[in-house]
Amino acid sequence: MTVRFDDTPGLQSKLFALNWLLPVLAGLLGMVGVLAIFSATDGVLGRGAMQHFVRMGAGFGVMMIIAMVDIRVWYGLAYPAFLGALVLLVGVDLIGVNVNGSQRWLQLGPIRIQPSEIMKPAVVLALARFYHDLPSWRTSDPIGLAGALALIGLPMLLVLRQPDLGTSLLIGATGVVIIFLAGVSWRVISLASVLAAVSLPIVWQFGLKDYQRERILTFLDPSRDPAGASYHITQSKIALGSGGVSGKGYMQGTQRQGGYVPENTTDFISTVIGEEFGFIGSLALVGLYIAIITVCFRLSLQCKAVFSRLLILGLTTTFSLYIFINLGMVMGLLPVVGVPLPLVSYGGTVILVVMSSFGLMLSAHLHQGSTLPKSE
Amino acid sequence: MAGRGKANAAGRTPTRRKAQGPAQSDAQMTRRTAMLGAGGLGVFGVLVGRFYQLQVAQSENYLSLSEQNRFNYQTVLPSRGIVRDRYGEPLARNTLDYRVDIVAEQVDDLELTLGQLSDVISLSDKDLERIRKDIRRKPGFVPVTVSDHLEWDEFAALNMRVHALPGVIPTAGEGRAYPEDGIFSHTLGYVGKANDADIERDDDPLLLQPAFRIGKTGVEQAADETLRGSAGRLRVEVSARGRVVREWPDPRDAAKPGRDVWLTLDAPLQRFAAEQFEDDSGGLAVVDCMTGELRTLLSMPTFDANLFVSGLTQADMDALNGDEKRPQYNKVLSGGYPPASTYKMAVMLAALESGLVDPYKRVFCGGKVRLGNRNFHCWKRQGHGPMDMRDALKNSCDTYFYEIAQVIGIEAIAASARKLGLGQRFDLGVAGEKAGIVPDPEWKQTRIGSGWRMGDTLNASIGQGFVLATPLQLAVMAARLGNGRQALSPTLFAGVDRDAPAALDIDPAHIAFVQDAMWSVCEEPGGTAYRPNGLGIQGFDMAGKTGTAQVRGISRAERAAGVTKNEDLPWKYRDHSVFVGYAPYDAPRFAVGCVVEHGGSGSRRAASIVRAVLGEALKRDGLTARAEVAAPGTTL
Repeated sequence: MTVRFDDTPGLQSKLFALNWLLPVLAGLLGMVGVLAIFSATDGVLGRGAMQHFVRMGAGFGVMMIIAMVDIRVWYGLAYPAFLGALVLLVGVDLIGVNVNGSQRWLQLGPIRIQPSEIMKPAVVLALARFYHDLPSWRTSDPIGLAGALALIGLPMLLVLRQPDLGTSLLIGATGVVIIFLAGVSWRVISLASVLAAVSLPIVWQFGLKDYQRERILTFLDPSRDPAGASYHITQSKIALGSGGVSGKGYMQGTQRQGGYVPENTTDFISTVIGEEFGFIGSLALVGLYIAIITVCFRLSLQCKAVFSRLLILGLTTTFSLYIFINLGMVMGLLPVVGVPLPLVSYGGTVILVVMSSFGLMLSAHLHQGSTLPKSE
Repeated sequence: MAGRGKANAAGRTPTRRKAQGPAQSDAQMTRRTAMLGAGGLGVFGVLVGRFYQLQVAQSENYLSLSEQNRFNYQTVLPSRGIVRDRYGEPLARNTLDYRVDIVAEQVDDLELTLGQLSDVISLSDKDLERIRKDIRRKPGFVPVTVSDHLEWDEFAALNMRVHALPGVIPTAGEGRAYPEDGIFSHTLGYVGKANDADIERDDDPLLLQPAFRIGKTGVEQAADETLRGSAGRLRVEVSARGRVVREWPDPRDAAKPGRDVWLTLDAPLQRFAAEQFEDDSGGLAVVDCMTGELRTLLSMPTFDANLFVSGLTQADMDALNGDEKRPQYNKVLSGGYPPASTYKMAVMLAALESGLVDPYKRVFCGGKVRLGNRNFHCWKRQGHGPMDMRDALKNSCDTYFYEIAQVIGIEAIAASARKLGLGQRFDLGVAGEKAGIVPDPEWKQTRIGSGWRMGDTLNASIGQGFVLATPLQLAVMAARLGNGRQALSPTLFAGVDRDAPAALDIDPAHIAFVQDAMWSVCEEPGGTAYRPNGLGIQGFDMAGKTGTAQVRGISRAERAAGVTKNEDLPWKYRDHSVFVGYAPYDAPRFAVGCVVEHGGSGSRRAASIVRAVLGEALKRDGLTARAEVAAPGTTL
């Protein structure tokens, strides 16, 4: 496969042509995170807020670099990246670091990486390329379906083995969305829906570990485990609800001060925002996310190449699922699974992955003039 | 676009199906993107709806839940009432007490925390073992005492580090303190942690508080309800770890302190009496001859009740238990001693009331009385010669009483003794009062299981044999003799309503006869307790009676060879020294009963203590000399 760079415009004109709305909104979100972490750590800058700020800066740099690189490079790296992520996942399975009963990390020298996080964008890249290369009439035929299912199923299984049900489902959901966007026929969709409904009890019985079943049951009936997970959710709802319309004021949250909501710098960071800024603050937060997602949709619609469109929408889907699962969990709509609120929660990996995704989207949009090979 | 066109033009994909054109495929993806966007909007609509539900619709509900979270109520211990003497001097007080508790369920790593605590405060292995045991036994939310009575510097050091020790709660509270000389220990008793039995009996939630102390013995136990007060509560803002962030006191929720308890005791007088005992062991009571109020209720030697509050060490325990003078034993209430010759007043009154004995008729004392084949000896081996009733008491002649007892019989003697207050409890209100023994045939039949013999009567007539009385009863006897009209009962608690005392039901002339004889004992040359300067207060006379209680049998052989002198015997075989008396003789104010264990002759140790105490009691009452108080027309 040949990739031509001769029509690459200069860096300056690229910076000029870049869609700056997305980086600005992402930066805003990161600042919301810094403020929320600052409050959650009782106003001590060095206990997270500073780190978050620095990481956002680093993530910004990574995003810019990725955005500047021609989309054809990423197109070319789609399968190698996917294969690399697969190898890492297998590596986790063989020599991973076991923390709290699940084997999710890989120790590479001084750094510890979580290959399942890398797998999320990698799956999107691979699927986008797969559908880009696939003649559209094959989308719903056995070969097309089998290829797509293999690209989704393999990482899902490996992640499930860690075990990490949340990430596995996230990969699956993103994959399904891409298949849907790629134009799979409604006949296949309805057939798959029926199949899924039938297989659900079987998965429940044989596919899940005890603690995973327990977690879902607790979600359905909180009285099963009052001091454990549902305590977490109850306290989180109290924090949000007691914020009322206008909130208790920045740094004034009593639930936060009392330390009633565990993990409130990471997965439960939205309780700090909701308690201290109230419904207005929550709306602003959700509004910011909707703005980002809207920008992403617009970016995808402005692209013509299937790869670019599916890549942007796939990454947007992953991003949106993070938000939905996180907020749904914090508000007691979904069971507690460890999913952070992107760019607001404390944690370096997610910043890196999300900012890289934004980089890929920007690259796809910036280089929409670049011609990608297409077989049909 | 161009790429697709090229691929289409190449036509590399022969198919049975109808291929979608690029434009059609493009339009489809846009359509599906729109559907995805609509779905996404729906999902975010759900999130916003949920935010609305939580933060607007149900906000008030969650706000009150958050207040409940944030605020907690702590039990506030009431201040325990003070126990005071009749003049208000505090005998049992509250002091500032620094303590530290641990709440197991808030502790991450118990061993680590205990280790860190040991760095700051001194904890022995035994303490640690006890703490672990308490934690195992009690539910996790109950605070367990790590240490009470911390020194100030330990407490301060602990407070510096407490933020790093979740579940460790230092508190400054009130502790109980008693006078260290322990002179009131037997009467006051002491407080301690509520044990399982206390909690079973009493459902006051205060008992579950580790810093709470309940009265265990003495007045502390008897008046516990009055002294205790009731728990208050304090609204506190707490963190999820239970650490108090802020306090929100509300005066309406304050603890209700316990009420003070006033005793009839006169603390300086009791201290004076204790000094008179020096190292001796025994009991002494001072009773008001007009009201029955106890001015002194003393048991010697004493013990430091504070040791029981802070927790007794094994060494303290061994020291208390190993002392042959039994410091913990409340001798004045619980000690039963033969009243010895002080019982003779009861015999005299019985004789006078019976009318069978002419008090002026003389009886010859030859030093012993023979009954059957047994000799009953007078304390004076060579005999007193001819004795009438008054002389017999003044000289404490045993022979005279052996003789008249046979005439009047044991029942009359026992009845008379009971009228004087012996053989009964007075329900002082504190535990430990013994009834003593006033023997008669019925008592012997039920308790010993054998019939009464004349020899028993003779022994009883000089207050030996089966007769037992407590120092308190002896004091009451003296008070009733001094008062002459009322059967006074002793009281310990001031300001308590009670019934007027019953009449004594003894002919006043007979009482006067006995009083005069008791005066002769103390104030007439030759009386067994005569001292030339008497009470030492000009114009005041006292009346009383000595007693010397044998605690060992004297064999015929020993009597023949000469009775071993008390001083030559081991302490525990020496006679008890007994004395009862009252003063002033002609207007009785205070009565005293006193036993000095193994103190030898009653005329020496006990008599001198009582004389000094009576003199001090009168001085404290303002009677320093007859001339100062005698107003014209009074009968003083």
